[in-house]
Amino acid sequence: MGSALENFVNQVRTMSASGSFRELADDLPESVSLLARNWSILDNVLETLDVQQHTLGVLYVLLAKLHSAATANPEPVQIIQLMRDFVQRNNVEQLRFAICAFYETCHLFTDYLVQKNLSILGIKIMARAVDQIRQMDTQLTPIHADLCLLSLKAKNFNLVLAYLDTDITDISTAAAECKTQQQQQSQHTVDANNDAKYFLLFYYYGGMIYTAVKNYDRALYFFEVCITTPAMAMSHIMLEAYKKFLMVSLIVEGNIAFIPKNTQVIGRFMKPMASHYHDLVNVYANSSSEELRILILKYSEAFTRDSNMGLAKQVATSLYKRNIKRLTKTFLTLSLSDVASRVQLSGAAEAERYILNMIKSGEIYASINQKDGMVLFKDDPEKYNSPDMFLNVQTNITQVLDLVKQINKMEEEIILNPMYVKKALGSQDDDLTSQHPKTYSGDPTD
Amino acid sequence: MPVLPMPPLMQNAIEPMQVDAPPNEDNENNEEQQIVVENPSIDLEVYANQYNGIVRLHRLMYVADVCPSLAVEALKMAITYVQTTYNVNLYQLLHKRLSDLNASNAPAPPAPAADLAPVPVAALPDIAAVPAAIALPPLAQGQAAAGEKDSFAYDAVWVDTKMKKAALKLEKLDSDLKNYKSNSIKESIRRGHDDLADHYLSCGDLTNALKCYSRARDYCTSGKHVVNMCLNVIKVSIYLQNWVHVMSYISKAESTPDFAEGSKEANAQVHTRLECAAGLAELQQKKYKVAAKHFLNANFDHCEFPEMISTNNVAVYGGLCALATFDRPELKRLVIASTSFKLFLELEPQLRDIIFKFYESKYASCLTLLDEIRDNLLVDMYIAPHVSTLYTKIRNRALIQYFSPYMSAEMHKMAMAFNSSVGDLENEVMQLILDGQIQARIDSHNKILYAKEADQRNSTFERALVLGKKYQRHTRMLILRAAMLKSHIHVKSVTREGGSNHGAELCVSAGSTTTAQLARM
Repeated sequence: MGSALENFVNQVRTMSASGSFRELADDLPESVSLLARNWSILDNVLETLDVQQHTLGVLYVLLAKLHSAATANPEPVQIIQLMRDFVQRNNVEQLRFAICAFYETCHLFTDYLVQKNLSILGIKIMARAVDQIRQMDTQLTPIHADLCLLSLKAKNFNLVLAYLDTDITDISTAAAECKTQQQQQSQHTVDANNDAKYFLLFYYYGGMIYTAVKNYDRALYFFEVCITTPAMAMSHIMLEAYKKFLMVSLIVEGNIAFIPKNTQVIGRFMKPMASHYHDLVNVYANSSSEELRILILKYSEAFTRDSNMGLAKQVATSLYKRNIKRLTKTFLTLSLSDVASRVQLSGAAEAERYILNMIKSGEIYASINQKDGMVLFKDDPEKYNSPDMFLNVQTNITQVLDLVKQINKMEEEIILNPMYVKKALGSQDDDLTSQHPKTYSGDPTD
Repeated sequence: MPVLPMPPLMQNAIEPMQVDAPPNEDNENNEEQQIVVENPSIDLEVYANQYNGIVRLHRLMYVADVCPSLAVEALKMAITYVQTTYNVNLYQLLHKRLSDLNASNAPAPPAPAADLAPVPVAALPDIAAVPAAIALPPLAQGQAAAGEKDSFAYDAVWVDTKMKKAALKLEKLDSDLKNYKSNSIKESIRRGHDDLADHYLSCGDLTNALKCYSRARDYCTSGKHVVNMCLNVIKVSIYLQNWVHVMSYISKAESTPDFAEGSKEANAQVHTRLECAAGLAELQQKKYKVAAKHFLNANFDHCEFPEMISTNNVAVYGGLCALATFDRPELKRLVIASTSFKLFLELEPQLRDIIFKFYESKYASCLTLLDEIRDNLLVDMYIAPHVSTLYTKIRNRALIQYFSPYMSAEMHKMAMAFNSSVGDLENEVMQLILDGQIQARIDSHNKILYAKEADQRNSTFERALVLGKKYQRHTRMLILRAAMLKSHIHVKSVTREGGSNHGAELCVSAGSTTTAQLARM
C-alpha cells in the first residue's frame, strides 16, 4: 500500500517538474480510488506536495479526501483550512488541465459544508474558486451554483450579488471541458446532464436570492431563464422555478403577462402540477384581497410544503399595494377609512400604515392629513428635466449600445465561423458536407 | 306500403324528447339569469298577435316562465293557439304546466286573500279548472262543442285525432316524396321536401324540419330556390337558437348569384329578412354594435314576417343596441336621421323618446324612461338576457358623454343628473377611470371630478425608459440563450442504468431545504 502511494507522489513530482501536466492530468483520475482507500494517511501525502508546484496532485488528494469524508469523518475545520489554502495558493495554469476534477471537488466541498451546517465559512472560498477558474467575468461555471447555494444557506448575499449581477455571455460546462481533456466517454452523458442541472440551479438559486433581497425584477428574469431552458423532459428544478415565477410575476406585474412560448414542457407537465399557483393567479386577477386571503389559507398546506408560504404572503401584500396604487390613479383625495374599505383592509390605521410605507418606498406619491383623516394623492413629481434623470437616460442608452455591440460581435463570430460559411454556401457540394453540419446541431446558427 | 308507415311512427315516438328541447333551453337561460318580472305593462293579447307559428308559442312560454302574474294567461293563450297546429306534444306539455301552476296556486291562498270577502269567488275559476279537466273528457266524447267551450281543459280526443291526422299526413307526404323521387323531377322533390318540413314544423319537430329543409338544397334549380331554402333553414335555426348556423346560411343566401345581382327593390323583403335574422344572431352572440347595424338596415315597408320577429322588436333591439354602442355622430347619422328607421321608432314611442333624450343629453329622464320599459323588455325572450349589459353600457356611455366637456364637475350635480347617490356614482366613475374610459380623478373629499391633463413629454419619457428596460432584458436573455445553445445545455430525461448519480437530475427536490428561509421573509 505504502509503495503505491509513494509511486503516486513520485509520479506527481517528476511529471510536474518536467512540465508534462497534460499527461499527469490524464493519468491522475485513475489513482482517485487508490487515494480514497488510503484516506487515513492522506495528510502525510499532502505534506510531501507543494500546492504551488504540484497543484494537480494536491487537487486529487483533496478530491479523494472529500470522497472519503463520509467514512473518514475528518475535522471540518481542517478540510476548510485545506480548501482555503488550496484556492489561495494553487497554480491556475496547472488547474486548467483538470477543470472537471476541480468542479467535482468544489461540488463535494459544498455538499460537505451544507451537511455540516457551516455554509458561511465556504462563501469566500467558493467566490475565490469562481474567480480563479472562469476565463472571463461573464463566464458561468458549474460552481456558481455552489456559491449561490452556500450564500442561500448562510443567508449572506453580499458577496454573491456581484456574481449574480453580471450578465452571462458564456458558459463553461464540465462536458465541454472533459471533451478537451479526452476523458472516458462514459462520463460524458452524466456530465452533460449535470451541466444542465447546475445551470438550472444557478438560475433557480439566483432567483431566490434576488427574491430574498426583494429585487423582484431581476428575480423574475432569473426564474424566466430557468423555465425557458431547452428541455425534453421536465426537471423538478424547473417546476419549482415555475411556481416561484408565477408568484414573483404577480408581485412585479400583477398578472402573468407573458409565458414564454418556447417551452412545451410548461404546458404539458408543469401546468397540471402547479394548479394551486394557477388558481392563485386567477384569483389575483379579480383584485379582491379577501378572496386571495381565503385562497391562500385554503392552500396554505401546499404552499408550506413547497416552502412558498412566505412568498404567498408577499403576493397578498402586493395585492393590497396594487389596489392602493389603483386608487391613486382614480382619486385626488380619499379618506383613510374609504381607502380601507375599498382595498379591504381592516381599518383606517392599517390603511395608514400601508400608505405610509408606500410613500416611504416611493411607490406612490401622497400625503396624509391626520386632522380630517384624508389622503391626498399626488402625481409623480418627476418632470424629466433634472440632471439625475438625464444621467439615468444616458446610462440606459450606453447600456443598450453596449448590448448592440455585443450582438454585432456575436454575429461577426458566426459569420466568420467556417462551418457556417460552408453551410450557407454549401447547397452545391451537398454530399461531402452534409454530414458535417449535423454535428453542429446545437449551434445557435441552426 | 304497409311496412312504410312504420318509420314515421317511430319518429313520432322519438318526438317528445325533441320537442321538449327548446323549452328546456329556455329554462336553462332563466336559471342563468334568474329573471323574474313583477309587473310588466304589456297587453299580452296584442303582444302575442304580433307573431304566429312557433315563435308565438315560444314567446308565450317565455312570458309564462319569467312573469308569474301573466303565467296563467300566457299559458292559456298558448294552448288556444297550439290547438290550431299539429303540435300535440307541446299541447300536453302546456297543459301539464298549467295544471302544475294551478295546483301550486290553489292550496296557498293568493296574497290579496285578506282584502275582500269574495275570495272564494276569485279563487274559484282556478280551482274549477282542475276538476273540470278531469270531469270533461267523458263529456267531450259526446259533445265536441262542450270541449271547445272550455278550451283550457285537457282534450284527450283532440290529442288523439290530431296525432292520427298528423301521422296520416306524414305518411301521405312521405309517400308523395317517394313518388317524386322515383320520377326524379327535381322541382317536385324539392317541394315535397319543403312540404314535409312544413309539416314537421307544424308538429313542432324542429330537428326533422331542419333536416328536410336542408335536404331540399340538392334539388334547387334556380337562385331563387336557393334563397328560399336558406330562409327556411334560417327560420328553423332561429327556433333552435343555433345562431352560428343562422349566420352561415345568411352569408350563403347573400352570396347566391341571383340574389346578389337582382334589383334591390325586388329583393327588399328577403333582404330585410336576412338583416333581421343577422341582427338577431349577432345580438345573441353579444356583438351589439354589428347587431344594431343589421337592424338599422331593415326596411320598414318590407318588414312583414310574424313567424320570426315583429316590427316592434326590430325597433327595440336596433334602438337599444345602437344606444349602447354608437357614439354621438353615429347615433345622429344612423338612427335619428335615418328615414327608414324612424318608421320603426314610431312604433315604440318610448324608445324614440329615450334615444332623443339621450341625444339631447337629458340623461336623468332618459334613464328614468329606460327603467320604465325595463320590465317589458324582460319578458322578451331574445333581449331579456342582454338587458342588464345593454343598460350598463348605455349608462356608462352617458357618464362619459356627460363629463367629456368639463375640466371639473361637481359630483352632487352629476349624481342628480343620473338619479343616483354620490357614493354609487363614485364607484361607477372609478370603474370607468380604471378602464381608461374617462381621463379624470376624483376628489373624494370635496366630491369633485377633475379631468386629468396628460403631459405628453413626461409620458413619452416614461414610455421610452420602460421600453429601453424591456429591450435590455430581452437582449440579455437572447445572448444568454445563444450561450446556452452553444454549450449544449439541455434538460434530458436520464436513463437510470448509469448509477444513482444519474437520477439526480430528475429528482432534485431543489426547493426542499434552501427555500426554508424564504418562508420566513
